[in-house]
Amino acid sequence: MLPSTAGFLAIVLATIALIALLALRPGLVQARGGRILAFLSLFILPVLATGLGTSAQMEHSKSTKFCLSCHVMEPYGKSLLVDDPSYVPARHFQNNRVPRDEACFTCHTNYTLFGDYKAKLRGLRHVYVNYIGTIPKQIKLYEPYNNRECLHCHGGARTFEENEVHQPIRSDLQKNATSCLECHDKIHDVHGLAGVKMWKEGKP
Amino acid sequence: MNAAPRLIRRLKLSGLLVVLGLIVQALTLFWPHPTAFLVFLLIGGTLVVAGVLLYLFSIASDPAVPAG
Repeated sequence: MLPSTAGFLAIVLATIALIALLALRPGLVQARGGRILAFLSLFILPVLATGLGTSAQMEHSKSTKFCLSCHVMEPYGKSLLVDDPSYVPARHFQNNRVPRDEACFTCHTNYTLFGDYKAKLRGLRHVYVNYIGTIPKQIKLYEPYNNRECLHCHGGARTFEENEVHQPIRSDLQKNATSCLECHDKIHDVHGLAGVKMWKEGKP
Repeated sequence: MNAAPRLIRRLKLSGLLVVLGLIVQALTLFWPHPTAFLVFLLIGGTLVVAGVLLYLFSIASDPAVPAG
């Protein structure tokens, strides 16, 4: 359990206990101590709990389970299990090159609640489209994939820096003038998943 | 003469709103779905804010509470 979630739940339980005490012994509020207790349980703790809860919700939005909870994202989750190392996301997921419980967020940092205000507005729109609107047949990124998402791990790594293909285009990669995906182009490929062999963890 | 029971009634209602809001907020944390965040804010947050505002209104309008 995340620390923010545990803290939130502890405060919620404490608040409910204090409010129950005030409800069972209402005469307490006539005294100074009771008024302080009421201030604590009806103002300070609920505000604190809501702040911690918001923080916990934001942490949850980074989880793979969160991203794949919408039906439309299921094929993208499936593409992480393709038994073919040429699929870049699958290779990263299966070899722990990205944390499995935050796999989506690690490579798409401008999505979820952690992105800028545009990402947050897009997130709200996604919820709207998921329930009320029309889900597009082909899902596309809002902007070209940024090399930053690759370089925050690969930049500075020996295998990347010493690679003879990377060396002459190093500055172009840094500036996004050349996309990593120009060569590493087998990404989720969700339309080609039918009949593809899937990896089952623990089964060689 | 009715000020104290009225204050207590309002505090109980405030407490009820806060407890309901916190329960809704707590439940959403066990639901890993984008809608959970909306429920957390729009339902849980609204109930908590309503409870807190009612509490503040109660003590501000209570003649038995000395100002300052």
